[in-house]
Amino acid sequence: MRMEYLKILKGKSGGELFLLGNAAIARGALESGINVYTYYPGTPSSEVGEIFTILFKEAGLNWVESSVNEKIAIEVAGAAYARGAKAMVGMKNVGLNVASDAFFALATTHPKNKNSAIVVLVADDPQQYSSAVEMDSRYYLKLLKIPALEPSNPQECLDYTKSAFEISRELKIPVILRLVTMVAHARSNVKLGEIIQPEIDESFDLSPEVNVASRLYFLDLKQDQIYNRMNRALIISENSSLNRVEFENESNNFNLGIITSGVSYSYVIEALEFFNIKAPILKLGFINPLPERRIVAFLKQFKKVFVVEENDAYIETEVLAIAQKNCVQTKILGKDPFSYSKESSLLNFVGELNPTEIALALMKITNLTPKINLNQIKDKRYETVRRRPVLCPGCPYGTIGYALKKAVKKLKSDLGKEIYFYQDIGCYTLLSFPPYSFANVKYCMGSSIALAQGVAHTDDSLNIAIIGDGTFFHSGIPALLNGIHNKAPILVLILDNGWIGMTGQQHHPGSDPRYYQEGSFKKQIDLGKFLQGTGANISIIKHQKRIEGKYSDRLSDLIYEKGHSVLEKRDIHVIVIEDECTQKYIQRNTLEVRYIDGGQCTNCGICYTQFYCPALNEKDDRAQINSNECLGCGICEEICPNNAILGGDNNEY
Amino acid sequence: MKKYVQTMQYWEEITTNTNNYIIVITGLGGQGLIRFLRILGSSLVKKGYKVITSEKHGLSQRGGNVTCFLRFGEKMVAPIPIIGSADMIIATEKACILDVLEYAKLDRSSKLIVATYEKKSQINDYPSEEYLLKVLNEISDYINFIPVMEIVAKFTNLKIINTIILGYILRFLPISEEFINESINQHFAGDLLVLNQKAFEEGRDLK
Ligand SMILES: Cc1ncc(C[n+]2csc(CCOP(=O)(O)OP(=O)(O)O)c2C)c(N)n1
Ligand code: SF4
Ligand code: SF4
Repeated sequence: MRMEYLKILKGKSGGELFLLGNAAIARGALESGINVYTYYPGTPSSEVGEIFTILFKEAGLNWVESSVNEKIAIEVAGAAYARGAKAMVGMKNVGLNVASDAFFALATTHPKNKNSAIVVLVADDPQQYSSAVEMDSRYYLKLLKIPALEPSNPQECLDYTKSAFEISRELKIPVILRLVTMVAHARSNVKLGEIIQPEIDESFDLSPEVNVASRLYFLDLKQDQIYNRMNRALIISENSSLNRVEFENESNNFNLGIITSGVSYSYVIEALEFFNIKAPILKLGFINPLPERRIVAFLKQFKKVFVVEENDAYIETEVLAIAQKNCVQTKILGKDPFSYSKESSLLNFVGELNPTEIALALMKITNLTPKINLNQIKDKRYETVRRRPVLCPGCPYGTIGYALKKAVKKLKSDLGKEIYFYQDIGCYTLLSFPPYSFANVKYCMGSSIALAQGVAHTDDSLNIAIIGDGTFFHSGIPALLNGIHNKAPILVLILDNGWIGMTGQQHHPGSDPRYYQEGSFKKQIDLGKFLQGTGANISIIKHQKRIEGKYSDRLSDLIYEKGHSVLEKRDIHVIVIEDECTQKYIQRNTLEVRYIDGGQCTNCGICYTQFYCPALNEKDDRAQINSNECLGCGICEEICPNNAILGGDNNEY
Repeated sequence: MKKYVQTMQYWEEITTNTNNYIIVITGLGGQGLIRFLRILGSSLVKKGYKVITSEKHGLSQRGGNVTCFLRFGEKMVAPIPIIGSADMIIATEKACILDVLEYAKLDRSSKLIVATYEKKSQINDYPSEEYLLKVLNEISDYINFIPVMEIVAKFTNLKIINTIILGYILRFLPISEEFINESINQHFAGDLLVLNQKAFEEGRDLK
């Protein structure tokens, strides 16, 4: 990826590159003279952070970091902004929830430095392709009272990033750059501009009256935020070319105009072309504050205006209010947001939008018959293969799931009590599915440990929280302290695979600094010592072969024993399971692919039913290892009771 | 099952009349579809086309289904096409083709390019050969099964399926081999480069 990312820096002004939306954002920030980039990884926003991590020194930025969580990312960047930096913060939709507490203060402060600017990249994920919830972050704009821009393709990603920096610098207010997956992960031709060398003012002003959110100053700052800075943002929005009417001189027999923004704009064009009808489109690049004057002028030209947007009816609700205030009679069509009725909604609140859904809505509005029967296509059903996302071959969680299952079976029969599981967010969430099925309650990052406490205090069951190391550092620590302090009778399993596996093996504070690029500038936090300092009962187990018997048995015995002691002592116990993410491990080690000894295999099925590895299947009445997929971790060899899995003679893992 | 090779004239018509050629690519997470998009997309960009690619993935990075789109032509268009509009549909895993048939044209003119690689799920729901053939024959007059597993066996590497297909579809695309070769050179290095160059040639030379 390094070469690919270097192109973003080296690409010449006036030239064209084939860029990912996220890469275009990074280029736009470089063309704005960015000083500081902080982020917390999360799909679909992570690439921007990865790019800056690689380009950091070469591009001459003052600071780049993957912070411990989004709140910290926005605080680090926010103070740099107060001090006079051009800063940017990146996160996914739900990351904004974590950052929001600090964001409210940041939004109101009004630094005096000439260079100060801050852009917050928030990437939403309609259809929750890679999120625990589907969430439209645009209503935060009303809460925070800050300007926001929304690009519709990679070229606009670059252009709008630059506009966002300019607006923030001029108004001294954070600007949100809002993306969705289909823009962040779209790739297309992008024209480049000139990169500006980052500069920070040598002299800077950290005056309390503009940077301190407290009763002493806050209300004055808030007055200034709303009646001065947002008022000026509105003037920019009214005059900006980012809000523009496309196909102004076109008309149709339906007296119909369209208001839209972001990627929905390109879908609208597609749907109109499908029906071969023309309509003027008000495309809103500025999604807060909305240009009231221009919306009114647009509405007045039509009998009907169709508002097209993905997820919430954010723009539609505003347009309805603007029309009412200005006594505009135009019929406004869209999701009918006050009805909560699917029947009266032309587009769905839920899921990702696409050109087909808009075409179907246009069919209802215009009564046109499309040239092809879209409903006929949509209604066709085929026998498809239902595939679940799976763990990588050789993933440490396969063994953990296997050992936990064994321990739980024994505990259940010993104790005669229910055992419940609280899941967190990471690759191990896949342990919620068969053959493991460890999940009773799950919310968001960092919640498993507190969820377990809620049941443990009201029940005599055994409650087990399962949390990854990355998530533990992100937001699990306060919940653990709460459990220790309150003597919560829960068992906490910290799955220490060394990395943030799920989003692409990024590092966290506990990651081994020898094995990631900027590690030489970082200090590793020793998770074991950290936990010891809390005074909690802890055990640490490492995946090492050929010591004191089988690893999976040792792990299973440990969980069994500590499960007992949690209920006996009515106190918390923490088990740290150290076993590295295979994706990282295989970058440094060659492992030996395993195979099945047909003569030995009795087809007991243990390796492919009770344990899970995508390389293991049943074929021709015995177990089979797909040599194209096996990574050679060797754990199946250990699990097989018949010594039928061979090939790992020299393996130390 | 008909096979045919596109002429440059055909391409001039496509790009001036409809402005846009639509390819849907489907397969499994981890098969390297994103790299496929990058290689093909950047080759077309070099040829002067406006290209947009997009992907529906996420958790599917590991084993789930991934659907991608690649569209090119004279102007920039949406990342997702309307259903019933794809000129070409590629499946890098056989049964995955069934997930995206809504994009096939009703006039049976979409080209279906199907790799013969099969990846079963944990539950026993893999469609039968007869069912697959029946459905595909209802959908299109241009079905191309690509015998990738023979080539995979030769090189003992499952990750080259995309590159074989890239070589195969070259015959339908308005670009010459050099453009794709250049992109392959930029996306692989060392042994992997040699392997993928060979896989590309194998696909190109398939009947
Ligand atoms: C608030 C928030 N930020 C970011 C994400 C994206 N995300 C999903 S899982 C994960 C971290 C997983 O790390 P870890 O707990 O170590 O588990 P692993 O994937 O390594 O198993 C992240 C950052 C998220 N879901 N929520
Ligand atoms: S990325 Fe790492 S932790 Fe995640 S499934 Fe793969 S091996 Fe397991
Ligand atoms: S050694 Fe066994 S468990 Fe490990 S990757 Fe290979 S088949 Fe899977």
